[in-house]
Amino acid sequence: MLLQQLINGLTLGSVYALIALGYTMVYGILEMINFAHGEIYMIGSYLCIIYLGIFTALGLTQSHLILALCAVAILSGITCALYGVTMERIAYRPIRSAHRLSPLISALGVSIFLQNYVMLTQGSSDKVFPHFFTVKSVQAGDFPMTPIQFAIISASVLLMAGLHLFVQKTHLGMAMRAVAQDKVMASLCGIPIDRIIVVTFMIGSALAAVAGVMVSIYYGVTNFFVGYVAGIKAFTAAVLGGIGNIPGAMLGGILLGLTESLGAAYISSEFKDGFAFIILILILIFRPTGLLTRGAS
Amino acid sequence: MVFRAFVFGFLLLFFNGCQKKAAEIVIGTAGPMTGDQSKLGGDVKNGVLLAVDEWNDKGGIGGMKIRLEVGDDQHDPKQAVSVANKMVNMGIIGMVGHFNSSASIPASSVYQSAGIPMITPGSTNPKLTDQGYKTVFRVCGRDDQQGKVAAQFAAHSFHAKKIAILHDKTTYGQGLAEEFQKSILSVGAPLTAPSIEIVSFDGITQGDKDFRGILTSLKGKNPDLFFFGGIFPEGGLLVKQAREIGLMAPMMSGDGVIDPKFIEIAGEAAEGTYLTFTPDPEKIPNAQPFLKKYKTRHGNELAPYAIYAYDATNILLTAISQVGTKEMRDGKKIAEIIRNLKYDGALGHIEFDAKGDVKESPYIVWVTKGGKFEEFWKPQS
Repeated sequence: MLLQQLINGLTLGSVYALIALGYTMVYGILEMINFAHGEIYMIGSYLCIIYLGIFTALGLTQSHLILALCAVAILSGITCALYGVTMERIAYRPIRSAHRLSPLISALGVSIFLQNYVMLTQGSSDKVFPHFFTVKSVQAGDFPMTPIQFAIISASVLLMAGLHLFVQKTHLGMAMRAVAQDKVMASLCGIPIDRIIVVTFMIGSALAAVAGVMVSIYYGVTNFFVGYVAGIKAFTAAVLGGIGNIPGAMLGGILLGLTESLGAAYISSEFKDGFAFIILILILIFRPTGLLTRGAS
Repeated sequence: MVFRAFVFGFLLLFFNGCQKKAAEIVIGTAGPMTGDQSKLGGDVKNGVLLAVDEWNDKGGIGGMKIRLEVGDDQHDPKQAVSVANKMVNMGIIGMVGHFNSSASIPASSVYQSAGIPMITPGSTNPKLTDQGYKTVFRVCGRDDQQGKVAAQFAAHSFHAKKIAILHDKTTYGQGLAEEFQKSILSVGAPLTAPSIEIVSFDGITQGDKDFRGILTSLKGKNPDLFFFGGIFPEGGLLVKQAREIGLMAPMMSGDGVIDPKFIEIAGEAAEGTYLTFTPDPEKIPNAQPFLKKYKTRHGNELAPYAIYAYDATNILLTAISQVGTKEMRDGKKIAEIIRNLKYDGALGHIEFDAKGDVKESPYIVWVTKGGKFEEFWKPQS
């Protein structure tokens, strides 16, 4: 039973971690909280249903379901990366040198806009994910992990490992780290700041989209409002790990998922959402810089 | 002189406009028109509109047309109060709504103090009519009646031994779960004394999507039935996730879950779910004209509460027409007429008791089978 709870928590946590990465990467570079990030996750979950609809019409889900699902995740990631870029261009770049609060307010505006945009175009009721899997095929066997949970955890781990390698080993990643450390110095060294920021938004949005896709497969429903709670929780995860710190966001996400799952199971399911915020308050009081603090700052 | 004529003409137009506005009877309906339960709110609105259109086709009341104002309370108590205030300010004569108990109860005191009669099509929490307001009615049943039938079924037909109870912490959901629990503890004992154990009583959060934590710990308690007090978005996810983690006990729930969207969300996991609701209107001869009209307008999709909204509207409009257009602002008089009305509507014969509840509310148990809801069990009276 405990093992099953741990797996439930781990699944939830790896999704939080994927979303938290977007928060933390943007904060690392621009020192702003992109409150519209949760909305990108929500759009990802809608895109999943839309792309799946297209694939089903083409007959692909019937013949190659797993492949189709992977393709959906990639396509949604690409589409959401475009959303991220657009968002940065329209709402953040023009006010980058303004007062620190301005981009924050702009982000809230983008968030409200995207929520209402989806509500008006997709309707306000829950969208249901098509039932591709029979109950039997998604049931946990002797080992208490469902195939979907396994897929979510392993995909998240792969993505996070990939991101880590990208940031640590590639030139682009090095440039990102440089911009995060000192924008002026980086630009003096010939690093195209604008392009690095765009790349950061693309990666963060794509990760959130993949999280959205996986969650809509996992839960089977989505609505225009899911981005809000998921965003707040992922933000908590990012703060928990130390905002601006990439491994910190991963750790924070997983810790948050586990706390929520175990708290709901063993303390009280009525306060399931409360645990995230209790943690946020405790962290802000006792360790405001997070568990893993960012190197130099 | 030209100027005076102009002013006179203008005033005339103005009064004319006023009169046109006054020659209308405004009634209101409210419910969750947007958000996760918008299906339910939409059904209610469609039912009310159908009745209003029929009255208008017959020429309205006393030559006055009836106009409907629709309010969206998003099943939120705060929103419900502000919708209620808005409705009162718009000068409605009567209210068909709200839908959710958590919205109807706070809204009812607003309508009560404004002296506006309200008839809810779907709020089943006992507290609504137990407040003693003279202007509050409901055409649906009460959760203490519903919980009792659910408990009788669980004890005497299903023969449950261990029951886990969940609710969504709303007035409706928690109220129903508590009534069920109360009845289980009393219903088992006197008859055959099957010892039923309630292994847990927990709340979940409305709007949440992940219940695997609480379901996994329920699985450890090994119940043979789990009861859920709540609405279909959570109900569908609960039963689906229960099957995924290997909790195979059937779910039982109430009238908030009986909606096609429940089956859409849960898929085949919905099979074998027991639900308390009133009998199938398809089998009531009186309901046939309504069903035919409703289906030509809105297609074949099941809309369980539309018929309640339709009857509630007809009852309200009948009372208004009896009181006459002169005194139609007198809400207490309309309420008095509603209380004494013997109405034969689409749902059959409806009469209200002193509290404003319907005298008879025959709850039965339905089951989900083959992707459809079917009547399953009737309590022996």
